Amino acid sequence: MNTNRSILASSTRRAAIAATITGCVNLFVPPSLAQDAMQPPTRPPAAAPTTRDSSGVEINAGTLGTLIIAAKTGDTIHVPAGVYREHIRIDKPLSLIAEGHVVIDGMASGDIVEICAPNVTFRGFIVRDTGIDLDKENAAIRVLADHAVIENNTLEDILFGIDLKQASDAIVRGNFIGGKDLDIARRGDGLRLWRSDRTLIEHNTIHDGRDAILWYSQNVTVRGNTSRRCRYGFHLMFSDNVVMENNELTHNSVGIYLMYSKGVTLRGNRLLSNRGPSGYGIGLKETDQFSITDNLIAANRAGVYLDGSPFTNLKPGDISHNTIACNDVGITFLPSVRGNIITANNFVDNIEQVCVSGRGELRGNDFAANDRGNFWTDYAGYDADADGIGDFAHESVTLFENLLDREPKLRLLLFSPAQQAIEFVGRAIPAIRPEPKFFDPAPLTAPVLNVTNSGPAPSRLSLAICGLGLVSVASLVYFSSRAFAVTTRRKGAVA
Amino acid sequence: MSTAALLSTDTIEAHAPSMVSNVLTLAWRELRDSLRARSFLLYSLAFLALGLGVSYVSAAGTGSLGLSGFGRTTAGLINIVLLVVPLMALSTGASAIAGDRERGMLLFLLAQPVSRLEVLLGKYIGLAGALIACVTLGLGACSLVLAWQGGTTEPRTMLWLAGLSILLALSMLSLGMLVSALARKASVAVGTAVFLWLALVFVTDLGIMAGTLALRLPVKTLFVLTLSNPLQAFKMWALHSIDASIDVLGPAGLYAMDTYNDLLPWMFGASMVAWIALPLVATAFFFRMRSPV
Repeated sequence: MNTNRSILASSTRRAAIAATITGCVNLFVPPSLAQDAMQPPTRPPAAAPTTRDSSGVEINAGTLGTLIIAAKTGDTIHVPAGVYREHIRIDKPLSLIAEGHVVIDGMASGDIVEICAPNVTFRGFIVRDTGIDLDKENAAIRVLADHAVIENNTLEDILFGIDLKQASDAIVRGNFIGGKDLDIARRGDGLRLWRSDRTLIEHNTIHDGRDAILWYSQNVTVRGNTSRRCRYGFHLMFSDNVVMENNELTHNSVGIYLMYSKGVTLRGNRLLSNRGPSGYGIGLKETDQFSITDNLIAANRAGVYLDGSPFTNLKPGDISHNTIACNDVGITFLPSVRGNIITANNFVDNIEQVCVSGRGELRGNDFAANDRGNFWTDYAGYDADADGIGDFAHESVTLFENLLDREPKLRLLLFSPAQQAIEFVGRAIPAIRPEPKFFDPAPLTAPVLNVTNSGPAPSRLSLAICGLGLVSVASLVYFSSRAFAVTTRRKGAVA
Repeated sequence: MSTAALLSTDTIEAHAPSMVSNVLTLAWRELRDSLRARSFLLYSLAFLALGLGVSYVSAAGTGSLGLSGFGRTTAGLINIVLLVVPLMALSTGASAIAGDRERGMLLFLLAQPVSRLEVLLGKYIGLAGALIACVTLGLGACSLVLAWQGGTTEPRTMLWLAGLSILLALSMLSLGMLVSALARKASVAVGTAVFLWLALVFVTDLGIMAGTLALRLPVKTLFVLTLSNPLQAFKMWALHSIDASIDVLGPAGLYAMDTYNDLLPWMFGASMVAWIALPLVATAFFFRMRSPV
């Protein structure tokens, strides 16, 4: 048994060396070796220098490791289909390309793939089952050097997914990252950047992780990614000049949370049903020079949450052309927030359109620019001159909402007639009428059309059938009582 | 004499219809009468008009954006139901017994070979039928208007709303009949019913709000107090039926979701069923005690 294994290992090595010697840049491993890879690594080839990683597993001890050790700088290794139970370290500029269904199984311990040389390409693998040690941040793919390309991999059952540490100019594209089934406190980050500038993060799908987080990483582009059931869909910490566009973030605790960053552009993202305990579609904390445009922000607990943003008065916060719909609260401001220009947005059927958390008035935020305000579904005015701008300013004077801002527990009584009674009293009696919370001088009378449908609308036919059904119940009761009236009258006649 | 009397009672009992058919006969009569009553027609029209107005206006707002979800339409309809259905059911129930008693109709009815319980159940079922007709007509017409306007309300939502509105109507009908059994005069009964409506729709909620603000009620107390109001139980159940959560109701809603979770629909149901059953039992008790004149 033992000899058998060592023969296999040495044959692998022989093949690898043979290929290198023949001067092939592309290192094809014969498919027969794929079966060998199914064997768990027991001991390293005699000559290979080995190290152990933090979990005690030897690195580059298996078939893949042997290939990496044997390869030369700049080689492309085409890895044949199979299951490789090993941890690898790529310590020279290589391309690792999976040919078919290639699984690298971490055997539930430590990190799985470590890239510590620049210009490494890692494409098409299935990497699964890292350790669950949060202290050691067990990751499926850890990148410690610049210019990495991590593409089209599937990471499953992992603690941290792709972890870039001081790895600038990387491309992370088309990966599918799924976390372990742990409670949120014990999960790792699906994607983490630490001081990794100019990274392109594109078309990845991240689900059931903790955060996708950018730490101290400048000029990053985040485009077309999907995130669901994570804690923070995307989280920026001290990361400047980041562009995030066309991402779809659904059912996370928070969609996008920007903290202490500046020059952030959020464009065309879809933030739906992010309803964790804080539940912001987009949260901003002390973020500066941001622009939030053309996003669809719907069914979150709070669509946009502004805390100390913009942080300086260098550039007003730009929130425009978004559709903010069906959230519990459209935009939540902390009372000290100022310097935002909010224009040409659709505020559609948010239960509370604008909330000033903990009371107070919104000063120094403009709800219109160039005589164009926002579209409000609760605007009560009209547009006699038909210029698309309401003839009266839109003011939010609602006593009940003021009470809610003061005592959020009272939301329990939302939608009840008592709410209307309070609003009515607030309007009727000037003495207790609250100050207007905000003021839109030029409300739009038609929505700004920039929205893609948020899902298949329920069919009108089935609604109509449902209506007919209900009406027919009513008519059944009515006509049966008529029929009864007739029969009793006949009986009476007989008697 | 005794034999004759026995014989006659025997024959009467032999020819007397069963309890079920008695109840049904009385129920049909009650249903027919109430569907003809002018007050009932007015309530139906009011419910229909308000519901259609809400549906028309709210569907026009969101239709163009194609966003579905819990929107103004459902909120508006819940509001209308909370306002109109209890008023309709309470006043219908309140005039059911007291009115008949005042006109001498009750004496006439009870002179027939029917028991008091049969009279009571017959009245309850008949009036319930009338209320069901009114609620389904109103919400059915709203669904049609929403479908025509391209609204994004789900059919499921409308069906839930109709079912829960019927439960709400039944509970308020029970309460109304209790008032009716207790009151001496029809006018007193209807007045009391309107007062009860005011209390349940506005006063208790306002009281809970004031209490929360002044006494800093903890969320649990707030939730339990609110749940004990059948109108709020209806509202929370309706919200829960739409997206399986009442977290839209802020911290107290979140607390309820975290603490009771799967039990919540049962709790709403228990609250409403209790409001149907308890007043009805009390009505039967007092109706048996009170003289029919």
